[in-house]
Amino acid sequence: MKIQIQNHAPEGFIALDNSALIYPPTEAIFNANTFRVSLDVRITVKKEILEQAAVDVLGRCSYARVSLHSGFFWYYLSPNPKDMVIHREGSYPSGRIVFKENNGYLFKILYSNHRIALECFHALTDGSGALAYLKLLVQRYYELSGYTSFQFPGGLKFSDRPTKQEFSDPFQHLYDRTLPSYPTISKAFHFKGQGDFDDRVKVISASIKADTIKQKAKERNLTITEYLCSVYLFTLQELQSREVPKQRKRKPIRLSVPMNLRKIFGYETMRNFTLFAVVGIEPALGKYSFEEITQEVKLQMVLAQSKKRLLSQIKRNVGGERNLAIRFAPNILKNPLFKLLSDFLGDEQYSGIISNLGYVTLPQALAEDVTRIDFHLSPGLLNKVALAVIGYLDTIVVNFTSFLNTDTELERLFCTFMVEDGIEVEIATNRETGKEDKKWRTAYDVE
Amino acid sequence: MAYCVRCGVKLSQGSHYCALCKTEVVLPKDMEENDSSPLFDQRLPEKGSKGVSKTKKGFIELVISLFVVSELSVFFSMWLSNTLNHSFIPMFSIAMATLTLITVVLSKPCYVSQASVLSLLVILYLLGLDFHNLTLSWSLLAAISVALFWVLFVFPFSSWAKSHLKYATLIVLLLLVLYLLIMNLLLARALTWFAPVGLMQLFVVLALVFLFFLWLTKRKNKKIPIADIIFGSLFVVLLSLSVFDLLLTKYQIGTYSLRWSESLFFASMIILVFLTGISVSRRLRRFFTSHNLHS
Repeated sequence: MKIQIQNHAPEGFIALDNSALIYPPTEAIFNANTFRVSLDVRITVKKEILEQAAVDVLGRCSYARVSLHSGFFWYYLSPNPKDMVIHREGSYPSGRIVFKENNGYLFKILYSNHRIALECFHALTDGSGALAYLKLLVQRYYELSGYTSFQFPGGLKFSDRPTKQEFSDPFQHLYDRTLPSYPTISKAFHFKGQGDFDDRVKVISASIKADTIKQKAKERNLTITEYLCSVYLFTLQELQSREVPKQRKRKPIRLSVPMNLRKIFGYETMRNFTLFAVVGIEPALGKYSFEEITQEVKLQMVLAQSKKRLLSQIKRNVGGERNLAIRFAPNILKNPLFKLLSDFLGDEQYSGIISNLGYVTLPQALAEDVTRIDFHLSPGLLNKVALAVIGYLDTIVVNFTSFLNTDTELERLFCTFMVEDGIEVEIATNRETGKEDKKWRTAYDVE
Repeated sequence: MAYCVRCGVKLSQGSHYCALCKTEVVLPKDMEENDSSPLFDQRLPEKGSKGVSKTKKGFIELVISLFVVSELSVFFSMWLSNTLNHSFIPMFSIAMATLTLITVVLSKPCYVSQASVLSLLVILYLLGLDFHNLTLSWSLLAAISVALFWVLFVFPFSSWAKSHLKYATLIVLLLLVLYLLIMNLLLARALTWFAPVGLMQLFVVLALVFLFFLWLTKRKNKKIPIADIIFGSLFVVLLSLSVFDLLLTKYQIGTYSLRWSESLFFASMIILVFLTGISVSRRLRRFFTSHNLHS
């Protein structure tokens, strides 16, 4: 059977988008480069129907029916003739995707009794893209199961033909070689954490009433993302003051906040179209109060969203890809160099990542059926805890994913700050919290 | 639903402990809750895996790719210039350099394991270079010297040596004697200078080192100035060299005299006089040390 990708895509060879180039070579045990969006429903999810829904979604979004290959100069995507595999949900989200077990697909569909989840390798798309696939999948599942028919507001339409823009790489359109490159920044503080760590992703999920957090943010003239960034920075400042007692030796604390560029530049692509806003504080200058942090964050977020600065970042990223030395270096040399340089150019500059996928507006027909929506990021080796935020109905879910086996101090400080600020926080976890785990107590508890 | 008394967060139904601070949830018997549905379908596996990190993986891949490229370049260039029969040494050297880099990255990042691995690889490299004509000659001496380096500068820092100090000292001494013995046998094919020069020199050095440590540790003031350590070490080194010259002259000519180490001997004596002076006279010591201490 001959698979037809879209007309505009060169058959058999689809170049990765600019953002995606770094993900395949740097993929490793503690650098899965994956994320997950999931939707919990009251109805029981049936595998057979989900399989059919997945086939239909792949028919609609043919650009997702691809597998990753290593070429002589670059990694590339090519049409995947194999069938999609549906997996039963495991014990943790955003782990490494074993492409062989997934028939080469770059995203993984998982299900449990009441959950449909989509785990995605970042080379295919970003969070917003994955959420669009999930919406389409859920929509199709409900149609096929005969429950109800609906359309997510603002989502892809199942009946439409895929447009050229859906699989375009806007970074290439926005590249302007005359602009100066965005400057690189110094190393940031990294929370080491206590105790051991391994590749199991431990989750602590904090559910918050949307109205309360909105009100608290509004009191300070902040958005929800800015408020959560401020709390995160405040938490990291506290942890740094414990790990580095000498003020002068404290490194900057910075957060990497992915920004959805679709709204800013008006592209509707289903590939990666995200850049990172970097907000932070300089604890070497002294201790910041929470109000001071909020002011810094607000100011820096506004600056980061300036189109001119974003275009300069795009120039740096695409310029690197178009550099002749990089273009014509064989993959065998480029891969290890990317692995070695990715920390220096990325993870080392940030103390943490907080990704807010925004508020998911549910269609009326589905709203009563949804019990929960989640978004999880894979943590890294330098930043062992990652934060992912998503909103639905009247709830905001903040998911902490961590490699640390026992240390939950970051999560504790973050949540207790919100509790002290008057926000009710409900906690759930996949960590063992039975009686046998009493010996879990960390070094902080002893203090 | 219960709240954590320490963090103030609301806990999921049926929690026995707070997920954030591990504080136990104690509810009255009539208020005990059933477990809520878990966050994920399955429990976390008992153990996770560690694997090789991205940076290590990148480094290893880079080293291997450079290895392949350089081996191929050497092979083809020598083949084209009809000197392939001399290709063993460069190709073996590249292979050993690759192996060394990879092993160092994969081994435990501590001095003892890294130095042990490097010592072993250096020994293998030296033996390999020498063995290309299927005989071992000079490499034995070099390999044994590297082994001696390990005995003196790596083994004493191992955790076993630290916990068994007496046994470790004894082992180091025995290995030193063994080293001298083997060197004598390899160089002269018989026991010649081993007893009159080797053993005697070893005894003198040990005695001097022992006296040096005694002088450093058995003093009233527990703070040891860095100048004392430098001058003391210098004295031990210079006097040991003079004694070596003395023993060698006796062995070679048959009389006790200094041939090339007279200046070293006089320098050691001046240092000795200086050290004795500042040890005995507080005034002299103060003259040479910080003025802040005079009051």
